[in-house]
Amino acid sequence: MPSKFRSRQLNQPAGRTRKDIWYKLDLSATVYPTLQRRDFSSVYRLSVTLKEEIDAALLQQALDLTLPRFPTYKVTIRKGLFWRYLEPNNRPGPFVQEDIKNPCMPMHFKSNNRYLIRLYYYGRRISFEAHHCLGDGTGGMCLLQTLTAVYLGLQGHAIPPSGFVLDLNEAPDPEELEDAYMRYATAKVKPPRPAAKTYRIRGTKEPFYTLNIIDGILSVKEVIAVSKKYGATITEYLNAVLLYALLQKQSNEFHLKYKPVRIAMPVNLRRFFPSKTLRNFITMVYPSIDPRLGEYSFEEIVTEVHNYMRYYINKKFLCGDITTNAATKHNFLIRVVPLFIKDFVVRTFYTRVQDKNSSAGLTNMGALRVPEEMKPYIERFDICMGQPFSSRTNCAIISFEDTLTINFASSIVEADVERYFFRKLVQDGLHVKIESNRTGTI
Amino acid sequence: MSYCVNCGVELESSLQECPLCHTPVINLKETGRELPPSPYPVDKGQVEVVRRKDLGILLSVVLTATGGTCLLLNLLVFNRFLWSLLVIGICICLFVFTFPAVYYSKMPIYLSLLADGIAVAVYLYMIAYLTPSTDWFWQLGLPIVMLVTLCMEIFTFLLKKIPFSVLSGALCLFLEIPLFCAALELMIRRMLFDPLRLTWSAVVLTVCAIIDVALITILVKKRLRNEVRRRLHF
Repeated sequence: MPSKFRSRQLNQPAGRTRKDIWYKLDLSATVYPTLQRRDFSSVYRLSVTLKEEIDAALLQQALDLTLPRFPTYKVTIRKGLFWRYLEPNNRPGPFVQEDIKNPCMPMHFKSNNRYLIRLYYYGRRISFEAHHCLGDGTGGMCLLQTLTAVYLGLQGHAIPPSGFVLDLNEAPDPEELEDAYMRYATAKVKPPRPAAKTYRIRGTKEPFYTLNIIDGILSVKEVIAVSKKYGATITEYLNAVLLYALLQKQSNEFHLKYKPVRIAMPVNLRRFFPSKTLRNFITMVYPSIDPRLGEYSFEEIVTEVHNYMRYYINKKFLCGDITTNAATKHNFLIRVVPLFIKDFVVRTFYTRVQDKNSSAGLTNMGALRVPEEMKPYIERFDICMGQPFSSRTNCAIISFEDTLTINFASSIVEADVERYFFRKLVQDGLHVKIESNRTGTI
Repeated sequence: MSYCVNCGVELESSLQECPLCHTPVINLKETGRELPPSPYPVDKGQVEVVRRKDLGILLSVVLTATGGTCLLLNLLVFNRFLWSLLVIGICICLFVFTFPAVYYSKMPIYLSLLADGIAVAVYLYMIAYLTPSTDWFWQLGLPIVMLVTLCMEIFTFLLKKIPFSVLSGALCLFLEIPLFCAALELMIRRMLFDPLRLTWSAVVLTVCAIIDVALITILVKKRLRNEVRRRLHF
């Protein structure tokens, strides 16, 4: 093992022994373990496709070197009397494994040597899966890029730390481990959460352990050009296309009355509230269209989404949203309730209200930046949102250089939403290449 | 390079049909060519099962030791009658009840309920074996166990098939209770050689019918349903 890496592994936060270290779950993370059930857990996947075949032994070595730099990912989750918490995991592993057809499998907390991350390789692709209670996509991407940089470093291509690639020789910045929600939950009012029932996709549930993936690959330049034509950003345009697809799906089904179509979209709060945190720091916004108000043309949907984004995604509104969410953790009466009661209440709330609050999920990680020295070795990045709680489809978008990847993950047999979505893109003159793990593809 | 004739998307070269509309890929220029490997792996993963090995071992040892020592004590010391059957029966029941939770979590719920019913029936037979007559077991004990098991199976089936809410759960329960009571009364009457008619169970039937009608009305009328939800929310 190179000495520069070994020295880092021995670093300890000043005055704290390994046994003293534990981490509170951040505000978002408290919800995810509660929703854990036999066939569902909040696991997301980030992948990087390199230009050469992956060497498994080298990848394992890179993982062993990288993980100690990310103390909130080398952890196990434990139950306290009132809250769950994370504590360092010094068991062997996690071990790299050959990739599987069904990504984002449920993650039992006591399996996999209690690690909450998985690392797969397949051909030229490295896939990193993490339970959402550890952190959001930005934190995960930081780990994946650092791991890739270390892997390339072990192959002899030196990658200097910058951006998402962290320096293994530096001790973790305390800000990387913070629960940034609590720092910024400062609004004087707590705006209510939207809680209206929305259209829910009907479909045949796939057997257990099946996650259908349909990947659309596009050119970033082409998508920007089309988005500009509609006077929108890429996120707004793709949101509008998804809403359009959902509206089409609803109108082609038999319904006594229509329901609003709403998308749950996570917003990266780091854009508005400076924080280096590698843990969760996102909040949800819900662009929607109500077909009961009349028939919407696509241009009108784009305008609606555009105006919604402009109105809600700003520092003030997001601060209010964080404050509403943080109120539960500030409330003394909630804090003293035993964990099993909290679990019951949260699960009931999520199943009855939150899950019915949106028709689909859409996340856009945006344009990824990597160090210049790393670019020649990387072909593309992928993101997959994992198995939805109820039968619906989740859409995740990421771009690198001129490659934009739109990944649909669903646990239902029908691919209607995906079909309407990609056909609309084709109608708008975009070239779409499709990859999939669905049956009949091999 | 193939395109879907319906969707207009380019299909990755290993795809044999469009994943969006299932239109087969027929490219006359590329017939007979070997398909390239898929960008997705073929093998499916399985979630690692968390074995409650330690708890399973502990439970098995405790139950076996309890049954075994009681049997020995019965045979060697207190041997007036086979009282150890009662303890052994309890141990078997506990083992069967905990089997799905501790030893084999993938066991279908219907099978586990059936096994529970059989275990209880076996235990009742053990008790009947120690009593002068086994008539009560054949005429009442076994039919009641079978009836309870059947009711549990139906209740579980309904809960799994109907979208669950407190109201729909209550409706299933109040549909089953009167049927169970009526069958129970008929069984008791048959054993006592009384005429087969309903008395006390008719009262239960009536009360449950009223409750069922009320629940169905609440479930059908959205305004009432919302009112109940509002009043009973927690």
